[in-house]
This record gives sequence, structure tokens and C-alpha cells, in this order.
Amino acid sequence: MKKLTFALSVMLLLVTLVPAFAQAQTLTVLCTPQEDWCVAMTQAFQEQTGIETSYVRLSSGEALARIRATTDNPEFSVWWGGPADAFIAASEEGLLEVYESENAAVVDPAYRSTDNTWTGVYVGALGFCSNVELLEELGLEAPNSWDDLLVPELAGNVAMAHPATSGTAFTAFWTGVTLQADALEAAEAGTGYDETGAPTQAAIDNAFVYFQALHQNILQYTRSGSAPGRMAGTGEVAVSIIFSHDCVKLQLEGFQDVVVNTFPEEGTGYEIGGMAILRNAPELEAAQMWYEWALTADAQAISQTVNSLQLPTNPDTPVSELSVNLSEVLLVDYNFAAAGLNRTALVERFDAEVAPTPVE
Amino acid sequence: MSQLRRTLKDFSRTFRDPVLAIGLLIAVLFVFVTILLPILSMIATGISGEGLTDLQRFVTDPVYLNILRNTIVLGITVAIGGTLLGFLFAYVQVKVKVPFKRFMHFMALIPIISPPFALASAIILLFGRNGLITRDIFGSRCLWGEGRGCNDIYGLDGLTLVLSLSLFTVAYMNLKGMLEALDPALDEAATNLGANKWQIFRTVTVPMLIPGIAGSFLLLFVEAIADLGNPLVLGGNYEVLATRIYVSIVGLFDTNAAAALSIVLLVPSITVFMVQRYWINRASVVSVTGKPTGKPQQIEHPIVKWSLFALVMAVCLLIIAIYGTIFVGAFTEVFGVNNTLTLEHFDFVINGYGSEAMADTTVLSAIATPIAGLLGIFIAFLVVRKSFPGRAALDFSTMLGIALPGTILGIGYLIVFNNPIELTLPFGESPLVITLIPKLAGGRGLLGGAIAIILVFIVRSVPAALRSGVSLLSQIDPAIEEASISLGANNAYTFRRITLPLIRPAFLSGLMYAFARSMTTISAIVFLTTPQTKIMTAQILNEVENGRFGNAFAYCVILILIVLVSMAILSVLVGGSSGASRGLQGGR
Repeated sequence: MKKLTFALSVMLLLVTLVPAFAQAQTLTVLCTPQEDWCVAMTQAFQEQTGIETSYVRLSSGEALARIRATTDNPEFSVWWGGPADAFIAASEEGLLEVYESENAAVVDPAYRSTDNTWTGVYVGALGFCSNVELLEELGLEAPNSWDDLLVPELAGNVAMAHPATSGTAFTAFWTGVTLQADALEAAEAGTGYDETGAPTQAAIDNAFVYFQALHQNILQYTRSGSAPGRMAGTGEVAVSIIFSHDCVKLQLEGFQDVVVNTFPEEGTGYEIGGMAILRNAPELEAAQMWYEWALTADAQAISQTVNSLQLPTNPDTPVSELSVNLSEVLLVDYNFAAAGLNRTALVERFDAEVAPTPVE
Repeated sequence: MSQLRRTLKDFSRTFRDPVLAIGLLIAVLFVFVTILLPILSMIATGISGEGLTDLQRFVTDPVYLNILRNTIVLGITVAIGGTLLGFLFAYVQVKVKVPFKRFMHFMALIPIISPPFALASAIILLFGRNGLITRDIFGSRCLWGEGRGCNDIYGLDGLTLVLSLSLFTVAYMNLKGMLEALDPALDEAATNLGANKWQIFRTVTVPMLIPGIAGSFLLLFVEAIADLGNPLVLGGNYEVLATRIYVSIVGLFDTNAAAALSIVLLVPSITVFMVQRYWINRASVVSVTGKPTGKPQQIEHPIVKWSLFALVMAVCLLIIAIYGTIFVGAFTEVFGVNNTLTLEHFDFVINGYGSEAMADTTVLSAIATPIAGLLGIFIAFLVVRKSFPGRAALDFSTMLGIALPGTILGIGYLIVFNNPIELTLPFGESPLVITLIPKLAGGRGLLGGAIAIILVFIVRSVPAALRSGVSLLSQIDPAIEEASISLGANNAYTFRRITLPLIRPAFLSGLMYAFARSMTTISAIVFLTTPQTKIMTAQILNEVENGRFGNAFAYCVILILIVLVSMAILSVLVGGSSGASRGLQGGR
């Protein structure tokens, strides 16, 4: 019997060892958008290039934390998707490789870095995704202002992700900072923004006041940015703060008449979904191939097959009519550089001051 | 002095046999490297430098004290709920004359083979604010109460319900074993002295079971305060330490804060473990004097009998509803919103998303299981049969693998094994660097981080094998082994040909438990999965957390199937089904 167990363990050990030693060309992608898009992208890349491509899905904050933890010996070669703020934060810490991409030239310069550390692969706007039936029960209209989220009727009925783990939630937070800075600036010039054009500490403190108030209405902070949308869809909460394309995705996947997407009239934040090669990337060549490939119209069109209707950054990609029209939505002047710089300190403060406080 | 000399003499006599000596050395080294080292490093990180600053904040800031209180309150409510549930099932099973006992037994065992957050998500679909039962039967968004302040499933009440249901199996198995071992003569004596059934229950049965009840209570307490999956899904704004540790790692990768929080979590866990080990076991009043004689008297009073029966059946019904939801949910588009039947969740999970994780998890668990089984039995053999200094310490340290929250172990592994452990010898200008242990955890670690995961699986499973081994070995007369030795067999031969066959049932149940445990564990390995080594439970948590319950359920169905099939294969391989009926008592 012991012999048998021994033989069995040796056999199993071999099964695990063999693939580890068989060295075909591989690529490991750190993927931040929703799971099904990651699957579709990596499968398509593998089919076209023959490079064995695997991915791990981590939300922006988790991805950043993971990259930081493994700087010397990164587990991933390329990081694809998720708001650019996190890419800028990573770039500031020297975690990204400079890569001059040929295909990046087609991308609007507003959607890529000036130092060739990252390039935008899609764009999306933040919105409120609400459960129609529940709003009706609560006697509320779909929210079209950030202040609408603070009404007492919505106690325990709002969901958003945790800014420490989710780029979506950090985009929401920084949108709050920008709106507070605008308000201060309108009252007295020079109080909202400093000389460099970054929001002042006073604006940041006011944003914390807003999110502390919102905290009273939050049911729970999820880990990933799109998860709150599902909670609205299944009727666990009335309102979720997510990217509008994630709300449209829900509508296309069984929640047609269940959820409605609205935008705040004071202005909303938006994301540039970034892409970058990681410093010390173990599979540099394959990572560069991915980088070029992900900027082609063909690769960007894959999003529509999985109902992810972010706006593509390659202008040749056909755009779905269900995608958000940025010219119809009031966008805040989102300072990506300042957002990236302040990211770490802000999420730590959020995690220490806002998230753990009990709701009255 | 002479005492010491005698101990050393004993020691050298016992371990003159090289096989035994090497075995002991391996066991001690293994326990030190895989259990003590991570825990000690975690503590060291938590009480030095930034960790200490964090620790000071965590034990003084009212916000964090509140989180600590939440954690302990949850531990207590679950311990009470789960023990009561386990006691109810065990009592009805052994002492009440009702039909469908096999069915009840089966229902009580089910929760052990599924990942716990499967329950949490099914509960949301049934009892959530828009749940099938809440909405359609209660006609409300809450379980009780009215209006805005009403009580919904999120928070303490929901967590207590889900955790009690997922964990009560252990209490059930413990108490059932004790109830069966109670000598019916005690009941008869009490009856003869004029006691009625209620008096017997109150003054004989319950006092005899106190150690078992207290043991289950403490065990559930530790499991509950360590649980990570359920608070993430169902916690609402009820923050507990485990989720704080999780966010500090996945969101901020702040190992200092995580270690400091782990220390806060460590204190109640280790206290409970000590209490259980040194107080409960000593307070035991049950004297096992061989098999009980006579048939136990059973309750036949119709009102008592049928109301207990109804209670148990109600819980069974709830369990069926939950697992039914998991099964049906795996085949429906969006459960409760769009109930069209579909296979797309299985398609998504099997073709692309989860196939790799299924293979990885199964293979790693299959490697860990026999190692854990053999190691557990071997340590049991050493502890029961051999006398050597540090025997109690070896037993104690091994048990820490299960007594401590998985989160703590995971953080410890992250701290210790994320870098190679090197020894630098100062040889002048070119110091010699010897790698003692290579980098085991993380994607660039040895074998894609698989070794660290296997080690965690083993460490979490060995205690069960050890306990069942100890209890069985204590019942086998050492004379049998001595006879083998005096007939000229050596220690290894005796162990293999005499001891092992005698404890085969315990070995089998230990293996099954180890395998199921490895396949469904989450809190320890969630920090250790890598791009190369994917683990099913972590992926299921991902799907649950994102609200894609259909995918999660499809995944759970597959996971349950893998566990069941593997258990069947194990029974055939190891042989004899007697072990299965002994079940999972090793859980203590």
C-alpha cells in the first residue's frame, strides 16, 4: 500500500514537473478588465501567434500591489487594462518598461503617456447603474447628481468598490476630488488648484468629507470595480457607482429592463484603460508583440464579442452604437498625472479613515 | 542531572534505529520549517518597525477595537449556533427514535465537501434583499423588522447563519461520537433512581458531554474568526479582522500592517487553543471502558420526538434548498432574474477560465494528501509509542497547523517564502552564500509557487491525521508491536506490517479529510496563488465577489464532483470502507 501511494505521488509530481520544464514561448498577462474579455483576448492572441498565453485577472489596486511586491522578479510581462491612474502610479515608481510602439501612433496623444511607458487601449466614463424597480419602491428617480447618492432613503442601498483594490472606485474618488477643487476654485481662485494645476489638499479633504457621508449609505465595498453593478442588477442595492460600459454589459447580459444607466450632471470622471510592459519583463519579446497587437483595430474589436463596450483608442475600430458618446456627457477635467501621483496615499487614507468606520 | 542523563539515555536507546532517527529528524524539520518558521516570522514582522506602529494603532484606535469586537462577537455567535446545531443533529441521531436517520446523517456531512462561500452566495439568492424566499414568501427585503432599520442578510446575522451551517458538521461528528460512547447503563441507573427523561438529559447526558460541547464551541470559534470568504461576500459593513488583513495585502501589499493585524487575530486563537488543550481535555469526565454494552434508550415521547424531528427536518430542508440553489443556479442564466436553462456557465468554466485551475488544484491536493496522511500517522506513532524529549512540543506544534487561522499561515508563508532563505558565511572578501530554502512562493518561485501551496495543504491536513492516528494507536495494545520486535522485526518493518494495517481506517479517514480540506481551503492559499498555479477556490471567490453566481455555482458543482470521485478512488486504493463511517472525527 505504501508502495502504491509512493508510486502515485511520484507520478503526480511528474505530471506537474513536466509542463514546467517544457519551455515553449509563453506570455503571462496581468489583465484588469472583466474576466470574459481577458479570456477572449488571450485566446485570440494565442491563436494568432502560437505563443502560449495565460493571464491572471486582478483589479487595478491589486495589480499594482502585486507588481510592487515582485519588482525584482516580476511574474507578469504585460499589464493590460484598467484606469491609467494606476499605470501612472506604477510609472512614477519605475515599475514600467519604456517601449516605443509603432502602432501607438494612431492613438490620440491625450490617451497615451508622454514618456512611452503606457498607451491607452480603451476609454470609458463613470456613471450610476441603478435598479429601476427598487428606485420606484424607494420613491426615487434615477440619480443624476453626486448629491442624490447621499439621501437617507438610500441608506445601505449604494454599492461601490474599495479604491484600494479597484481602479473604478479610485476613478470615482478622484472625480470627487476634482469636483471639490472646482467648487473651491469657483468660490475663490487659487484655493482649489495649486500652481501646477493639481487639486489642493483642501479639495482632497473635502472629498473625504463627501465619501465619509456616502459611507453611511454604502452596503459594502467590493473588491472589483464592476461587481457593484451586479448587486444593483440582482436587486441587492438600488444604486451602484460603476463605469457606464459595465452597466451596458449588464443590460446586454440578462438585465435589459432591470438596470438603468445615468450620469451626474455636475460632471463625471472617465478612465483611459492603460497598457504597459513591466520592468524586467521575463517575456519581453512576446510582451512587445502583445503590445502592438492590442493596439490593432482587430484586437480592439474583440471587446464587442464579449459585450464590453468601452470606446476603442484605435480610430479604425468600429464603435458600437451602445457605447457612451463622450460628447454628450459632461466630463470633469480629470488630471491623470496628479491622480496617479496621489493614488497610494489616498487609498491608504481611505482604507484607514473611511472603510472601517461603522455605519450609524 | 541524573534525570537529564536518563532522558538522554532513553532517547539514544529509542533512536538507535537509524530509520526512526531519520524519521524523527524529518518530522521535526518539517514542522519547524512549515509551521513554526512562518508563524514566528509573521510575529517578528508585526512587532518590529512599521509593524509595531501599526500594531499600536490597531490596539488603541476605537475603529480597530470595534473591528476586533466584531470579530470576537462573530466567533461567539457562530460557536453557539454551530454547536447547538451539531448537538441537535447528534442527539436526534443517537438518542431519539425517529425515521430517516441515514438521510439526516448525510445532510449533516454535506457542508464539509463544498467551499464555504458557495453557501454564502446561495443564501444571498434565497434570503438576500431580493432573494427568492425574502421577496416571494416574506414579501419584504428583510428577514425581520420593518422599514429602513430592518434586518437583512448582510452583516452579523447572515454571517452567523451561513457560518453555523457550514461548520456544524465538526460539532456533529464530535458529539455524535461521544453520545454513542456513553454507556446506556448510566441512563438505566438514573431511570431506576426515578429520574424522568428530561432529568436524565439535564443531569446525565449534558454533563457527560460538556467536554465535547466546549471543544466544539472553541473549534467553531476559531474557524469563525478566521473565516475570510463569507465576510467578503456577506459582511455588508460588518468589518472583521480577516477581511482587513485581506485588503491590506491584495490592495496595498502592506505586509507590516497585515502581520500586525494577524497578531491581533492570533491572540484569541491561541488562547482558545490552549484552553482546549490543557483545560477541556483534562476536564473530561467520559471514561471509555471499551464498547458500551446494551442498547441505548431512545426518546419515544411523541411531542418531544416529533418536535425535535421537525426541527432537524427544517434544517435539512434549508440545506437542501441551499444546495438545490447551487445546482439549479449552475444551469440557469441569471438565477431569479432570467431563469432560462443554459450550459454556458459550464462552458465558460471548463473551456478557458477554470480548466487549468481544476487540474492544478486536484494534482496539488493529490500530492499533499498521501504526504499529510503518512506524516500525521508517523507523528502519531512517535507521540504515542516513543518517549523522547520534545514529544509534547512536536504534538503541539503540529496541531498549530489547524489551530491557527489560515490567514495567519498565508501571511507567514508570504513573508518567509517569497524570498530565498540564505545563509551567508563570512569568508573574507567573497562571503559564501548558501541557499537553504529557495524561493517557494510567488510566480517566479520554485515550480511556479506550487511547493508553497502543497506545503500549506499538508500543514492544514496533518493535524487531522495526527489526531485520528493518536486516538486509534492509544487503543491498540503495544504488546502486539513488541511481539513483532521480539520476533526479530525492526521498527520500520513493524510499523509497516503491524501498525499501519491496524490503523488503516483512521488513515483512510485522515486522507479523505485531508483531500476535501485541501480542495476547499481558501483563507491560507488566497495569498499564494500565482499565474502558473491557479487554485479553484480562489477563482470561485473571484466569481462570487463579482456577482457572477452562475459561473461560481458551475464551478462548485465540478469541485464537489471532483472531491466525491476522489474519495471513491481513495476508498478503493486504500481499501476497506470501515474508515468512511468513522467519518471526519479527526477534525478536532
